[in-house]
Amino acid sequence: MVSFQIQLYSVLRSKLAAASVALEAHDGVTAGEVLDTLCDHYPLMAPYRNAMRLAVNQEYALESKIIHAGDELALITPVSGG
Amino acid sequence: MAEKLNKRWVSLSKTPLDIAAAYQFLQTPAAGGIALFIGTTRQWTDGHETTLLTYESYEPMALREMHLMIDIAARRWPISRACILHRLGEVPPAEASVLVGVATAHRPEAFEACRFLIDRLKVQVPIWKQEHLTDGEVHWIEGNDPPETTVT
Repeated sequence: MVSFQIQLYSVLRSKLAAASVALEAHDGVTAGEVLDTLCDHYPLMAPYRNAMRLAVNQEYALESKIIHAGDELALITPVSGG
Repeated sequence: MAEKLNKRWVSLSKTPLDIAAAYQFLQTPAAGGIALFIGTTRQWTDGHETTLLTYESYEPMALREMHLMIDIAARRWPISRACILHRLGEVPPAEASVLVGVATAHRPEAFEACRFLIDRLKVQVPIWKQEHLTDGEVHWIEGNDPPETTVT
């Protein structure tokens, strides 16, 4: 198993009252599996499942992307800059 | 956090945007036109009053996405100079939150590239705003569409 910290921003950070969440996952886990697992652990995230992206090392990842130990992870809900 | 290159300037800052500095940066003898878009805090939206917007960002990724947008624009249009400046923290009504500027040889490309950059910023760049209303309510504004995935 590998431990990950996933950064939270905006509405997810407010709803979960946390700047990051921890996740244990098997080696070779994909971005999509990380999103599914997080939504199972944190029901407050579930409404955002289809709208959010996992950023891996500061790039938006396809759900098929394999995550490795040490990757920088963040959850990105639809942005509202400008 | 600021980065000023020869032909591009991308920055996130908590201080008011320096519009004169952006214009000065964009000026070049190669350009026949400069397009500048400035986004500002609007006081009234559909009958409700906004007293303040506060912006937060995943800063290193936001800067990276802003550079990527300029890379894409520079492949589509012959851009001499480009800048994207975004303010973070509190932005009161009428003040500028974002500035996108493009200098090109001819006018159409300046308008098109500037429009592309601000439209893409609003979907791709990890920056979010929180709206403060007169009754004290504060809520996050959520965009309509998820960002495009870029990594395989």
